[in-house]
Amino acid sequence: MTESPSIFAKLYAEREQDLLKELTELTAHHRQASPEYRRILEATGHEPGRSYNSVADLPWLPVRLFKHHALKSIPDDEVFKVLTSSGTTGAEVSRIYLDKEAAGVQQRMLAATMKTVIGPKRLPMLIADTKALFKNRSSFSARGAGVLGMMNFGREHVFILDEQEQPDIEAVRAFLAKHGGEPFLIFGFTFMAWLYLYELAKAEKFDLSNGLLIHSGGWKKLADQAVDNAEFRRRFAQDTGLSRIHNFYGMVEQIGTTFLEGPSGDGLYCPEFADVVVRDPQTWEEAPVGVAGVVEVVSTLPRSYPGHVLLTEDLGVVHGVDDGDWPGKRFSILGRLPRAEARGCSDTFQAVRG
Amino acid sequence: MTMLQQRFPHGEPIETRRLLHEIGSEPVDGPLTLGDPRVVDFLVALAKRLLSPAVARRHPELGSLGFFLRRTELDRAIAGVSEESSRVLRFPRGTVFHVPPANVDTIFVYSWALSALAGNANVVRISSRSAGAADAVLDALNTTLETAHPAIAQTQRMVTYGRDDAVTAELSLGCDLRVIWGGDGSVTDIRRHPLRPWARDLTFPDRSSFAVLSAKSWQAATPQRKREVAIGLYNDSYWFDQAACSSPRTLYWVGDPGPAAAAQRELFELLSAVIDEKAHQVDAAMAVQKRVSTYGLAVEGAAKRVTFSGNAIATVELADPGLIPRRWLGVGTFPQARVDSLAELVRIVERRDQTVSHFGFTAEELTGFARAVAGRGVDRFVPIGDALSFASVWDGYDLLREFSKLTTVQA
Repeated sequence: MTESPSIFAKLYAEREQDLLKELTELTAHHRQASPEYRRILEATGHEPGRSYNSVADLPWLPVRLFKHHALKSIPDDEVFKVLTSSGTTGAEVSRIYLDKEAAGVQQRMLAATMKTVIGPKRLPMLIADTKALFKNRSSFSARGAGVLGMMNFGREHVFILDEQEQPDIEAVRAFLAKHGGEPFLIFGFTFMAWLYLYELAKAEKFDLSNGLLIHSGGWKKLADQAVDNAEFRRRFAQDTGLSRIHNFYGMVEQIGTTFLEGPSGDGLYCPEFADVVVRDPQTWEEAPVGVAGVVEVVSTLPRSYPGHVLLTEDLGVVHGVDDGDWPGKRFSILGRLPRAEARGCSDTFQAVRG
Repeated sequence: MTMLQQRFPHGEPIETRRLLHEIGSEPVDGPLTLGDPRVVDFLVALAKRLLSPAVARRHPELGSLGFFLRRTELDRAIAGVSEESSRVLRFPRGTVFHVPPANVDTIFVYSWALSALAGNANVVRISSRSAGAADAVLDALNTTLETAHPAIAQTQRMVTYGRDDAVTAELSLGCDLRVIWGGDGSVTDIRRHPLRPWARDLTFPDRSSFAVLSAKSWQAATPQRKREVAIGLYNDSYWFDQAACSSPRTLYWVGDPGPAAAAQRELFELLSAVIDEKAHQVDAAMAVQKRVSTYGLAVEGAAKRVTFSGNAIATVELADPGLIPRRWLGVGTFPQARVDSLAELVRIVERRDQTVSHFGFTAEELTGFARAVAGRGVDRFVPIGDALSFASVWDGYDLLREFSKLTTVQA
């Protein structure tokens, strides 16, 4: 990356020391600034001034806690933005509180991460989604927010689907006629990129070889088509010429922190201000390299809310450390933990009715 | 027109109106009566089937059901509602519509069986999600029917239908008593559908339960007795993921701080050993759920201390005995607090509290506590280990009386 200093450069040993120091400091900061967080630390035996030997020793919060409780480390009058995410059930929503500074930092760090692969300039951009996402502001979805955020990195945006959510073949053809001969950016949720962009490009024999695809969102919706990451990359390259593909992983509860796939597709990588810890689901100790478990994400960005060490409900595995495209941990997301469902005499008839 | 799928007796899909007509017509050998021998014989035959080793081994909870339906138990229940005066006559209510919860596998059978014993015609709505023990019961019911009096098949029906308010509305208008199990939301939802003027509801909304243990009695107990209590607590808490209304969640230790702390430690060591013996696994999703709920209690200031012993046991030291969480926290999550006496708990009891499981108190102490609470909450005191045992008095209702009505004769 000649354009900007990469944030994927440091070797792991080097970054862990820095991370541990900063995250320990952040833990102390949130303890002081958030009474709710302080009560969790006190109840779980994390005394003030305690030192930690590794990132994996730091106290983590289950990410779903943000769906049930307002956890923030800023006074009410400094709340600049409240981000929300709908859960899979739709009923539960995480609330993430940002002050002005935190909102700025998350945007800068997202940009720095994306520019690692996009470069410093805005590129012409294809979006594997529909314009209709923005038509109805009241039902503005997490998907819409994601698309809007990514649109900052491109110019002359063209949507692959029209407002009726039908493939807009002519628009894509015109885009490629104009920009197809130079580098261009493509963004879409993984299943949208596959169901619409891939199928369309294959059928129309579009040449996407100058494209750079950035996608996210997981493989669950593609499971019945037996498409995994390797197959996705192989068929895009073979059938459309598109070989620059970067998946990414992130969540609203750690906004601005983006785990980005390396150029060869050998795993997701952590920017230097973040890390992952895969935990054994019985002992909750860190699992060895190669052993799957529950993914914890850590990041030094969350300062306005105590989200710097979060246990996700995703399953994953660390494939290796300092042994791939980029330095640091190299990992994959394998799926989601099933939701704990109780038998009992609570509102079950409601559940049946959906 | 939605057709009802007939689960018991097995049959072709049927219209609601026709179903109501069939069960309302007079059966062969006359209308059913309270304690009708045709029904008793059927229930006893069903009990035998449920108690057979093949069934009981696969679904231990059906063993308890089978026990509940033995002839001696049924006779005792009938005797319990017999009127001493020949001028007070007890009769069935008529047609009873039962709406049980989808995910407590067997409660519909208790509700239905007592109503049948009272001589009613019954329609039971079975969830389309029914599985496991519920399906095993339906199989047993259908097999038992082969030798039953035809009045049973005519008057007793279990049906499945989808999300169809029209059917619920029609069954509601066709019944004399509607029995709704399964939570505040479902009670409110079903109550949107009117009943006929003389009909009424019997509702079983959300409840929660706690346990009381005497630290002094624990100290005096034999190792064998202590182990029994641990096994009892295991059965009460882990069988239905601690989500049954009657499963204890919070444990109150009554006694001095030193002995209470020691007793608490010892009980959880024993519980841990029981869990190991039973090889009970608590999966990662449930472990995360327990983190979410117990950390949430810390956030709210209700938890002073949260401790995990593997995925199976989480204990929470409550900041105050009054901060009792009444929501489901995840299987094997035990908030605890110490009090000096049972009397201290009187103020914390609410309408929602259903069962108090107990260890180490005399009948006088428990009765005294119940009198002090004076019916504001808690319908049931049972020894630890019996929390899940169904009884014909439930949530404060004597079910056979609820399922029947009186005619008085003054000459």
